[in-house]
Amino acid sequence: MSLVELAQALWLLVAALGLALSVSYAGLPVLGQGAFVALGGVGTALLGPGGAGLPLGLAVLVSVAGAAAAGNLVARGSSRLEGAYLALATWALAWLVHRVLTAFPSVFGGEQGLVRPSPARIVSPTLGLELTLGAGLHVVVAGATCLTVMLCLSRLDAGPAGRDLAALREGPALATSLGVPVAARRRTVLTVTAALGALSGAGTAVLLGLVAPADVSPLLSLQLFVAVLVGGTARWWGPVLGVALLSSLPSLADALATGAGLAPERVRGALTAALLLAAVTLRGPVGRRLARPAGTFTRAAHDPAVPDSPPDGQPVLLHAHGVGVSYGAVRALTDSEIVLRAGEVHALVGPNGSGKSTLLKVLAGDLRPEAGQVEVHGAPHGGGTRQRVLAGVARTPQRTVVLPRSTPEQQTAIGVPRQRGTVVRHLLATPSSRDATSRRRRLVQAALRHAGVAHVAHQDPRSLTVGEQRLLQVARVVATGAQVLLLDEPAAGMTAAERTRLAQVLRALARNGSAVLLVEHDMRLVSTVADRVTVLDQGRVIAGGTAEQVRADPAVRRAYLGSPR
Amino acid sequence: MDPGVLLQAALSGLANGAVVGLVALGFTLVAGTVRVLHLAHGDVVVAAVLTGVLGVLGTTPVAVALAPGAAVAFVVLVLAAGALLAAGVSLLAVRPHLPDPATGRAGDALGWVAGGVAAGLLLREGLALVLPQQGYAIPDPLRLDALTSSGVLSLPGGQVLPARVPAVLLLALLAGVLTERLLVRSRFGKALRAVADDPDAAALCGVPAKRVVLQAFLVAGLLAGLAGLLDAPGRTSLSVDAGVVLGLAGIAAALLGGLGSPRGALLGGLAVGLVQSLVVTALDARFTDVVPLALLVVLLAVRPEGLRRRTTVLA
Repeated sequence: MSLVELAQALWLLVAALGLALSVSYAGLPVLGQGAFVALGGVGTALLGPGGAGLPLGLAVLVSVAGAAAAGNLVARGSSRLEGAYLALATWALAWLVHRVLTAFPSVFGGEQGLVRPSPARIVSPTLGLELTLGAGLHVVVAGATCLTVMLCLSRLDAGPAGRDLAALREGPALATSLGVPVAARRRTVLTVTAALGALSGAGTAVLLGLVAPADVSPLLSLQLFVAVLVGGTARWWGPVLGVALLSSLPSLADALATGAGLAPERVRGALTAALLLAAVTLRGPVGRRLARPAGTFTRAAHDPAVPDSPPDGQPVLLHAHGVGVSYGAVRALTDSEIVLRAGEVHALVGPNGSGKSTLLKVLAGDLRPEAGQVEVHGAPHGGGTRQRVLAGVARTPQRTVVLPRSTPEQQTAIGVPRQRGTVVRHLLATPSSRDATSRRRRLVQAALRHAGVAHVAHQDPRSLTVGEQRLLQVARVVATGAQVLLLDEPAAGMTAAERTRLAQVLRALARNGSAVLLVEHDMRLVSTVADRVTVLDQGRVIAGGTAEQVRADPAVRRAYLGSPR
Repeated sequence: MDPGVLLQAALSGLANGAVVGLVALGFTLVAGTVRVLHLAHGDVVVAAVLTGVLGVLGTTPVAVALAPGAAVAFVVLVLAAGALLAAGVSLLAVRPHLPDPATGRAGDALGWVAGGVAAGLLLREGLALVLPQQGYAIPDPLRLDALTSSGVLSLPGGQVLPARVPAVLLLALLAGVLTERLLVRSRFGKALRAVADDPDAAALCGVPAKRVVLQAFLVAGLLAGLAGLLDAPGRTSLSVDAGVVLGLAGIAAALLGGLGSPRGALLGGLAVGLVQSLVVTALDARFTDVVPLALLVVLLAVRPEGLRRRTTVLA
């Protein structure tokens, strides 16, 4: 392998590593990395020496920034959509960029591309620098970039960003309910991916002195995607393996083509397609075999006990009143009211279809009511799920969400609130980041203990019983630091012993000053654990009080047993 | 702009758009039934036509007028190839990644996205290995140009329009509307909607969900073959790679009309074709591929739910 080929492979690796961040780490199917590579290469060629005449460094910087902005825009546009639409959007972008490059030969040089022999030397008077711009320098720069990116990726994965990425990849809906700003994280990830793609394109353009549409075609996008898939999920060395495979593809294709008398480019394409199909088909089985949640947290040496503090005067934490919601012509909630106080377990009961889940959604900020208001700590709160979590109101999903690749401890860490810049500080390993890490660890430990699942903190999440998974959900919500905990049927599927355990957990949470709202069918559990009960029927609150009072209420009997005929 | 030029642009745009509408109809049928974006759909269109070429004319085709027997064989071959290729894509690249209630397997969007793209690439590159030229002129088995003796129609202002343009427009619209009615009225349409609403519940009611999904792909493939038959002979030459842009234009049309709505797909196709033709006439032929691609990118970013306020599934 010549030095030029090595430099080219290393630049390709930069693009692949950038793509790995999106695909392997964040689970975003990006099929248009070739478009960002093209933006970097073409931008540098058009702006730099021989084009608009900017200094080389500045031209590269501007093109990379432009591509990053494009990546951000794509993520912004598709943030409301499922993953598959992001794949479609990036795939369409790959073809759009390619067709624009070939359609306007006067600007982009047509099929031959832009030929811009790079300067032989880089001279920077300001830095007092003079370097020979040869393949050797490219190997050094590209290699250093690759190493840096790989180090960052593996360090990120072990830190707080890794939790977020795992949540983004395995359960975006859950991540939202725990207050992770999913859309913003996606934008960041895609911006970085695009920037690294553009850097790769710029580097290759300077190295070869040429950007041709055929070299940055949608085929490149797919090849990079294959390179990333081959390495499997969330492993920094995956792309290295993939790019090594990719670099050997042309010679293999050429050998096959001359042997069979076929067009080499087409053989290359067919091989890519076969590789992609193989990688996709084998991904499931191989991934399942390799999937072992990697425990990166070490056990804390000592767990400082969280004091049991009695509720002071039982302040109202959450108050919803006049709430009205309808789905089309169906009125799901009419003029409903509920008050949650610190230190109480409050049960919300009612027959199927009575509006329990809808009310819970309104309280959690998942659904904006048509009428009425939700007050948090006495002030009206109109925000969505994430704002609600930040204000201290969080919910569990009704169905258990299992993140198969993260230990219970890592899953609990997802919701732990963090300050701005935590990821950067963690990357630089500043002293404050070490403090923050140990503080997070304490919070996670405390949450796991509170929910009574500390003993399974490091187990494979798929080995947990249904009850333990339900309790883990409670732990995840507790870790967000929310004082108002909205639990949607936490006892579903639990054994009698687990229900007793759950009752103890709920009482303990209330003792610590939380307000716990429990949506539940099991009246036995409700009467043992709830301080107050609110009964919904056909979208209206028909009764409220202690379990005893509610059970004696004739309206409640009618709702559950039907009116006497 | 000269009214003759405008009329010419509008009519050829609408004819192209009606073909795009057929592609979009197939795409929306699959997306509405099984919530899968059929990313190899455009490649199936071109692959079906080229399979017909290979079968009837061989690897060194010349665009000669086909004898009646050969013409019939060509039509049958293209339609069959479209249906079979689509079914192949469905079985090979999509089904392994769909949720399966029988085994409790969860769906894997990354799987069918990559599978679909890979299948499309495999079709393109595989055909290019046996048909290595840049492009091929495709004979017209329906001889739509022979509708007038000169092969053209005169428009006001001295403009001419190939006679096949209004014929393609009418045939494509007819096929599209018939299929749309079939989907709304027939038992097959009802089964599709049942599977679309809830595959598990449909299966419990005795609807063979897996077979219905395969049938959706088959019908989409038939429509793809038909679109290819109407579209390819009108091009100066058909390149192996032309399918991708045609497929993405179809996706843009389907999104524009609201994904899952057959009528929306047909109307969306007409709109995409019209806009493309008007832009190209006003600016430059180099925008031919750029317009639908840019439209799709912008649509996905701004209004992926389409122009209709509410989308109905397959009705």
